[in-house]
Amino acid sequence: MYSENIIKFDQMKRYFFDQDTSIKFLEYLIGKGTVIAPHKKGETSYSFKKVDDVNEVVFDYSRTIQPLKKFFLPPQETLLNFNLTDNSFSEPEVVEEKKIFFAIHSYEMQSIRRLDYSFTKGNPESNYLSKRENSCFIGISFEPDEWHFSKSVGIEIEKLEGFCLFFEPVENGHLVFEVNETGREMLSEFGAGVLVDTPLDFEITDKHFKAKIKYHYNRLPQVFEHVYHSKVWDKVAEKCVGCGTCNLLCATCYCFDVRDEVDLNMINGKRERFWDSCMLNSFAEVAGGDDFRDKLSFRTRHRLFRKFKYITEESGELQCVGCGRCSRFCPAQINIVDIINDLIVDYTEQQEKQVI
Amino acid sequence: MEAMAVESKKLYNPLMSKILKVDILTETEKRFEIILPEDQILGHKPGQFVEVSIFGYGEAPISICSSPTKTPGFELTVRKTGRLTDKMHLLEKGGQLGIRGPFGNGFDVEPFQKKDMLFVCGGIGLAPLKSLIDYTIAKRDDFGRLMILYGTKNPSEILFKEDIEVWQNQDDIEFHMTVDRSDEDWKGNVGVITTLIPPLKLDTSNTIATVVGPPIMYKFVMLALKSKRIPDENIYLSLERRMKCGVGKCGHCQINNSYVCQEGPVYPYPRIKQLEEAI
Repeated sequence: MYSENIIKFDQMKRYFFDQDTSIKFLEYLIGKGTVIAPHKKGETSYSFKKVDDVNEVVFDYSRTIQPLKKFFLPPQETLLNFNLTDNSFSEPEVVEEKKIFFAIHSYEMQSIRRLDYSFTKGNPESNYLSKRENSCFIGISFEPDEWHFSKSVGIEIEKLEGFCLFFEPVENGHLVFEVNETGREMLSEFGAGVLVDTPLDFEITDKHFKAKIKYHYNRLPQVFEHVYHSKVWDKVAEKCVGCGTCNLLCATCYCFDVRDEVDLNMINGKRERFWDSCMLNSFAEVAGGDDFRDKLSFRTRHRLFRKFKYITEESGELQCVGCGRCSRFCPAQINIVDIINDLIVDYTEQQEKQVI
Repeated sequence: MEAMAVESKKLYNPLMSKILKVDILTETEKRFEIILPEDQILGHKPGQFVEVSIFGYGEAPISICSSPTKTPGFELTVRKTGRLTDKMHLLEKGGQLGIRGPFGNGFDVEPFQKKDMLFVCGGIGLAPLKSLIDYTIAKRDDFGRLMILYGTKNPSEILFKEDIEVWQNQDDIEFHMTVDRSDEDWKGNVGVITTLIPPLKLDTSNTIATVVGPPIMYKFVMLALKSKRIPDENIYLSLERRMKCGVGKCGHCQINNSYVCQEGPVYPYPRIKQLEEAI
């Protein structure tokens, strides 16, 4: 598959940026809009945030703790401002600004495409879509660590869909590929007369994933058709502490809670939504206290079925993008790739029994 | 966002609506008649719900209990169970409520034409079914027999007493009710609602059964209906979940691959059988 991308790259215009040029390019981008990029957060962690100092942008990173969704579906978001004295309300003002997301990994880009689907289908939601407008994405290649498995869910490191430009690290700098028209315009404005098309005689290092799902990603929805009653769910539930971190850090989880918060003056208040988690025990509770997913094994199953079957049945795409956050940050060291591979074993055994 | 030329909507803005009337039904239930601004018609189907809110107290899904034939207002029956509903119970005529909706899939009455209708209502489940009962009464000629079975835990929980008195005395409606536990003044049936089903003489293939009640009731009622040989596809259930957003986004009402606020709350029984988490 890697060579296919090289061919794809080969048909694209590309330029060599040394570190200095990349920094200048970031400065140019800041002049065009709000630039959001990965930054260091502590010694070993990373976070997407607005770029104030171009020198603090990190090009080579494993993954941020919070996914990119926080810019389109913030952890806490005001839906309405209301006034208790006259029951009037208004929507929060939408700040119209161009947002440029820099140094984005392909799984992250694909997570946004998944969210686009969920917030567009049925009832298109203005809260999400208005934030999504005027945003463009500049991709970057990465070296997979032990938790990345995006290739196993069909997302190559160099999957370019959604990007306007793509950065590929080479010796002493990056090759910058012109993915679409927006990218072309950016580069021609930035480097008018300076940039020259670079021949592809740089060596791009091959990248390998350590974590792998045993079956082809197109087969996974079929596997999920047969594992609803698998014993794997109980096995996972024995370790799971039900904290919901996997949902909150998932690049494609979008369930939310809505609450009213009243100011201390008892006159004004806000109707707000918050990220919520289907792994928490109160999530599926109904009025009167009944809970139809009252076991951790049921809730784990629901979380995984949303990633590999329920939404996929409609959208045709797996919801899991293989970022590895749920495994990397799980306090109980539960690994999603292990769960899926265990389910595959269970499925294969079932199939063999049927043959006998 | 080039590829997404979609018209996005303000999904969470309520219509500030006025309470026209409040009736006390029981110690814990009140009925509210509500009218949308500028006398707009809600335009609901029987079985649908609205999201009701009071600023500062939040929002909750509540079934519409009046027939769409009754306009311009609509009615909600609300049990006091939490912050929002406690506050609602303090409101009087002229008070304001935020309304979004109607949401969800209600009863599609088209296939019910000329059929015998069997309503099985447990407790507050009578409220959502009342929108369909009232509709079938308003369009009485379009339906065969109307049979209403109603069960509550005890006589003090009986809703819509005035309507029930009318139903009991009307020749073209068969009404039967029971209570789980009687009190001194109770002279009617005692026992769970399933005891009302065996005595019925039904033209099974021509009967539509609609069932709404607490989760525990469904399994036993389904067994009783099965022994009456009513085909699964003639049975409809309405499920209760916490539909927080009403528009298929928040995820709270999801049962397997079904968002109750979109595909439900009314489901044909064969579909329920595919949803393991349903009942």
